[in-house]
Amino acid sequence: MNHEAREGLEAKTSAAQRAVNAGGFLIVVAFVASVVSVSLAAAASVWDGVYTEEQAKRGEEIYYQRCGACHGPSLEGGDMTSALVGGVFTSTWNDLALSELVERIRITMPLNQPSTLSRQQTVDVTAFLLKSNKWPAGETELPRELEPLKDIQIQAIKP
Amino acid sequence: MSRRVFRIPLAVISLVVGLAWVVVGLSAQGGGAPASPAPRGTNGQPSTSRGEWPHYNADLKGTRYSPLDQINASNFSKLEVAWRFKTDNFGPFPEYKLEGTPLMVNGVLYTTAGTRRSVIALDAKTGELIWAHSYREGRRAAVAPRQLSGRGVSYWTDGKGDERVLYITTGYRLIALNAKTGAMINSFGTGGVVDLKVGVVKGVNQQIDLETGEIGVHSTPTVAGNVVIIGAAMREGATVETHDNTKGLVRAFDARTGKLLWRFNTIPPRGEFGNDTWEEESWAYNGNVGVWNQPTVDEELGLVYLPVETPSSDYYGGHRPGNNLFAESIVAVDLKTGVRRWHYQLVHHPIWNFDMPAAPILADVVVDGKPRKVVAQLTKQAWVYVLDRATGVPIWPIVERPVPQSDVPGEKTSPTQPHVTKPPAYARNVLKVPEDLIDFTPDLRAKALEIIKRYKLADTPFNPGILGDVKGMLGAIVPGTATNWPGGAYDPETHTLFAPAGNTPGSRSLVAPPTGFSDIRYVSGIAGRPFVEVWGPGDCCSADAGVVNRENLPQRYAPPAGSPPAPPVPGLNVDGLPIVKPPYGLLAAIDLDRGELLWQTPHGDTPDNVRNHPALKGMNIPKTGQTGTAGVGMVVTKTLVVMGDAQITSPPGRPRGAMLRAYDKKTGEQVGALLMPAIQSGSPMTYMVDGKQYLLVAVSGGNYSGEYLAFALPDAGQGGQAR
Repeated sequence: MNHEAREGLEAKTSAAQRAVNAGGFLIVVAFVASVVSVSLAAAASVWDGVYTEEQAKRGEEIYYQRCGACHGPSLEGGDMTSALVGGVFTSTWNDLALSELVERIRITMPLNQPSTLSRQQTVDVTAFLLKSNKWPAGETELPRELEPLKDIQIQAIKP
Repeated sequence: MSRRVFRIPLAVISLVVGLAWVVVGLSAQGGGAPASPAPRGTNGQPSTSRGEWPHYNADLKGTRYSPLDQINASNFSKLEVAWRFKTDNFGPFPEYKLEGTPLMVNGVLYTTAGTRRSVIALDAKTGELIWAHSYREGRRAAVAPRQLSGRGVSYWTDGKGDERVLYITTGYRLIALNAKTGAMINSFGTGGVVDLKVGVVKGVNQQIDLETGEIGVHSTPTVAGNVVIIGAAMREGATVETHDNTKGLVRAFDARTGKLLWRFNTIPPRGEFGNDTWEEESWAYNGNVGVWNQPTVDEELGLVYLPVETPSSDYYGGHRPGNNLFAESIVAVDLKTGVRRWHYQLVHHPIWNFDMPAAPILADVVVDGKPRKVVAQLTKQAWVYVLDRATGVPIWPIVERPVPQSDVPGEKTSPTQPHVTKPPAYARNVLKVPEDLIDFTPDLRAKALEIIKRYKLADTPFNPGILGDVKGMLGAIVPGTATNWPGGAYDPETHTLFAPAGNTPGSRSLVAPPTGFSDIRYVSGIAGRPFVEVWGPGDCCSADAGVVNRENLPQRYAPPAGSPPAPPVPGLNVDGLPIVKPPYGLLAAIDLDRGELLWQTPHGDTPDNVRNHPALKGMNIPKTGQTGTAGVGMVVTKTLVVMGDAQITSPPGRPRGAMLRAYDKKTGEQVGALLMPAIQSGSPMTYMVDGKQYLLVAVSGGNYSGEYLAFALPDAGQGGQAR
């Protein structure tokens, strides 16, 4: 969750607190529900600095050991392998949660030995892919848990 | 309705290394039979004329044509998802490249699914699983060159109640199943299995290893009467380790017993016709030349048409001087004996990987007022080769013309190549500079002209590859694959051939392989760039991939950890846009009576990165179509051609997704489109059950695992299986 979203959450929570003070339990439930949906709607995108430079560097090492032989030294793909940079890649994943990309890698890659990257390695490689597609680095690492990754949208075009 | 779970005892297949399960058995004899049986013709055989889809390509002629017309231009966009069938659990992990086209016979769909290449039978009305079969092959599957679920299955019946489903496992075994129960047919082969690796050779008559020997196939067996015809495929040939790999072959087996009927050697051994086209005895130490696509059959003429592919290796022929018959040829063999009747070589001494990418389509046309029986071959080089299918003689002139010669050491190119004069190329197969280059803006054109200076051009598709170097010339411009494995379709009513076509160029360059990698002098690559081994999507990733030790895999080359990324070289794009003008992909219609193009239309929405490109802001870019269109197939009906997009897009006004499009087959005008959650990854088919027409397509890719998606028109006042 990015900084703005957290602020929004706090504001809503205090609104909920005021509702409790007014004595309406059901209203509180309704407010809490709206807080949850609001925080999802305000989810981060890949433009919000969702990984760190250091994480991308770790991912780069893993990429060249485990991925580069097929996807190419510049992530350009090959005759039979999809590119991991450029227009076809970003439009394929556009408007999806980052968790979808992470899960695809985790389940099927590397193709000759699927599911042999750890969750940490998988998100580190993902950080390298984000960097390679010029989505900016930030202050916090991509988490290895799936749930928070569902709140990060892949957006090909800067909103 | 009885529900039973079968488990075939191991003893039954004691001679076979493998474990077969029929995981779900549901008697189709009971009150819950999937659909009311359609009346059969006098021979008891299924047919598209009864709304069925009994062969991978609809029929033995390879047309992908169905006469159904309930779904038409007036209602296509009203189609709804009737049911979905997710294939994730037919293997230990989901598949993201589901390529099957199911068969439909008598209300039941039969197809393959999942990383295990399981076989499933589904109720065609609801998608409900009737039975499933899987065969566990362990390491044999894990090292196989053509893995994943493949293109589907084949159907055979004696017309008297014996109904069978035949398929080829990832590990290259032919298996016959009882179509009603999914149980293996014990009287077929050994316990239902024919080991197709037995009799396959490399070198001079050297049997390949039954476990690790390199051979497999994605296509389905072609069943003509009681004859089951099976081709072969090896690993992708761009960067292989040896030219002396498995030799291609085609065999026919008896549908009742599994007994071998005949064999055709695509690399003729000593004493066979064509052996002398392998100079310096090179037939003895070269391999490949498979038949990986679907053979077609003219049952009246008693001929089988084999689309034969490339020899080892794809782009360097220095180890195999000569024309290399029957590589990149159409070969007509006798259905009963396998004896060659005629052949036509499309490419001499092949070094472009212009292998026959599609089933040869059989058409009965009228040329200059005379009825002609022809075979039409769609190709990667955007020409359709039209031959008399009784004799192999071209219908319109195909002319031997001098072509540029290779300067790669050791390579001896053919001085001439056959050039099709009619019909005209149905997509771009020669790059014209400057007129074909991108011209959205003067700046983009200028950049394109700068980039193209580093590529060698030719006025023929047969531009030989060069030794590429990051510091100099990068490659030779070649056609970038017009039509690939899904092939096209043919409309027997209007005598029109339909072709999906990629329309952007490719580049070919060679490099000496890393020391110890290969006995081939040059493989695909560019000097100064890290070597990238080309692996096909089926070269790996089987259900049993996880059981392979890394040491057992062929050695792969990766740059040492921590080595800096290689400097990018300018590919055939400008600021992320294709270097050529659109369309980037198209659908073409060819009149086979007159040998003329009827129409071409861009296929697929303009890709997001083109539509949103900063350099094109404010410009009105016409629909560009999409790269990748070579890889999507189609179905043709009474009125429509239906084909899906090759890319995901998110244009304004609709959610992200890929469209399934319907075109008026006479005009090429788009008359409807449906949103799908992923791209079409297997060619569509159509069928009718109980008066309702369905349109079915395999989708997968990106975040979306394999799924069969069935569309039908909504019932009035009935929700059906709401999804």
